[in-house]
Amino acid sequence: MRPLAVFVMLAAARPGAAATTLLVEVRDDKGAAVPNAVVYAVPRARRPPPPSRRAVLDQKNRMFVPHILPIQTGTAVTFPNSDNVRHQVYSFSPAKRFQLPLYAGTPQGPVVFDKPGVVTLGCNIHDQMSAYIVVVDTPYFALTAGGPAELPGLPEGTYDVRVWYEGMRNEPLPQPVSLGAHEQQSLTFRIGKK
Amino acid sequence: MGEPPLRSTIVFALVTWALALSSDLRGDDALQINGFAGLRGTTRAENPLEADSASAQIQAGIDWSPSPTFLAHVHLLARTDDGQSQHGYAGTPEAYAEAHFPAGGSRFRLKAGAFFLPTSRENVDALWENAYAVSSSALNSWFGEEFRPIGLDVAWLRRGATIGATVFRGNDTLGALPLAPGWSLHDRWTLLGQKVHTHKDPFTQEDLYASVSAESDHRLGWSARAGWSSPQFTVLFTHIDNRSKGEAVGDLDNWRTRFEVVGFDYKSGDWTVAGETGWGPTDVFFPGGSFRADLRASYLLVSRRLGRGRATARFDEFTDDASHRYALTLAAFWTPVPKLRVGLELSVGGGEQRALGDLRYRFSAR
Repeated sequence: MRPLAVFVMLAAARPGAAATTLLVEVRDDKGAAVPNAVVYAVPRARRPPPPSRRAVLDQKNRMFVPHILPIQTGTAVTFPNSDNVRHQVYSFSPAKRFQLPLYAGTPQGPVVFDKPGVVTLGCNIHDQMSAYIVVVDTPYFALTAGGPAELPGLPEGTYDVRVWYEGMRNEPLPQPVSLGAHEQQSLTFRIGKK
Repeated sequence: MGEPPLRSTIVFALVTWALALSSDLRGDDALQINGFAGLRGTTRAENPLEADSASAQIQAGIDWSPSPTFLAHVHLLARTDDGQSQHGYAGTPEAYAEAHFPAGGSRFRLKAGAFFLPTSRENVDALWENAYAVSSSALNSWFGEEFRPIGLDVAWLRRGATIGATVFRGNDTLGALPLAPGWSLHDRWTLLGQKVHTHKDPFTQEDLYASVSAESDHRLGWSARAGWSSPQFTVLFTHIDNRSKGEAVGDLDNWRTRFEVVGFDYKSGDWTVAGETGWGPTDVFFPGGSFRADLRASYLLVSRRLGRGRATARFDEFTDDASHRYALTLAAFWTPVPKLRVGLELSVGGGEQRALGDLRYRFSAR
């Protein structure tokens, strides 16, 4: 992979927005939108509020659904098994090393992800199954799809905006952005070819 | 001739101990038992659809996994339908230890013991259960009955790519069963130490047998595989060579078999399409001559998850030079409560028909 080139393309205020919203695009070196990239804004000044919701990573038809799950540090994740075959979920990742013994249905308790980082999941019965839980120190995160990811409801302040995508070797430099009240800004990360 | 059980047990224990020491052991609830008890009723049919009219079985997997990087697994099985064999009622189809070694974005997996090679695209549940039908395809029925590497498997896995290699003992008779009594569709996995009847020696009229664990020529077989998978699609190519001398020893029906297998599966929503094709020559050598047959077996299945159930259609094709046959199997599963599975299956093939009902109660303990 070539070194990643990252730059901020545009920061344009759009008056009239009801809340502060950050739109973040991730594009490759040919200008194409990169789907399934996690973008997240980490506030510089404030400690972010603790996670308020649980997250779910399902297993359907021998696939983890979703394939990439961004969560805030401290979030509890349940791993239901919706298949008619059993799964044995594990992670060797330093951010969360764990395993769920072979099971069908829903395991007894959720797994709490208490350190930021990328957790790579696998199934010991089905080698082809893989997924990523991206644990970030902020409640402000989103996944890109065909277009920009939208981070709505950000309080006024300064943030470091970061990105993670599958296959990333070197994290692009975080981009600082200052948000005023009731405005919308856009940001673009341009990354090297995946 | 045959298996030296004490030596194998000692080697297995030593390898398990070494792999366990190489891992970072910790954690509670490390011991787990999973399995099922089943009852089955089948209409009468001959090969390729032969089975006992009523049968019962219980299978259990005992897993000891004190760390995500280490697992010791023993698969136990007891049944009433032994498929006309010796020592086929109760025993162990699999017993192995495996250790994972993460390295950056890759991991290596070392497995030692007796295990199913991970070629099958349909026997994808724990205990090598078929996820889509009660019986397995002709190809995987053969592998389940006559192929069980007993040795060492090394795999490298990175972002969907897999490369693996296996060195194994035993399996000197691999290739005998598709020729006599012929390809068949069932789920009777051979136990270590079991001998499955193949045919009578035409000269001596003595019974000959196939065995996955008997070692009569002391030559190691090998296998290599490479594959790639995305969340929705998997393809895997495997080469197998049992390096048998192909000469009958005692009552063992030894064949020298080289076999290629290509398998894939594609999943979209509740739908799965999966298939495998395998082909290769098998040779037998006897005083004054030899005989070769080309084995080939393929299947293609389409399956859909339906709420608490699943419906599957599978088409099989299998040939051994002397015959070229087809089979069509329709199967349905229903899970009225989480631990109970009801299975119905209709098969037509080789001029035979078979209807089958299967009831399984699953259990687990920690």
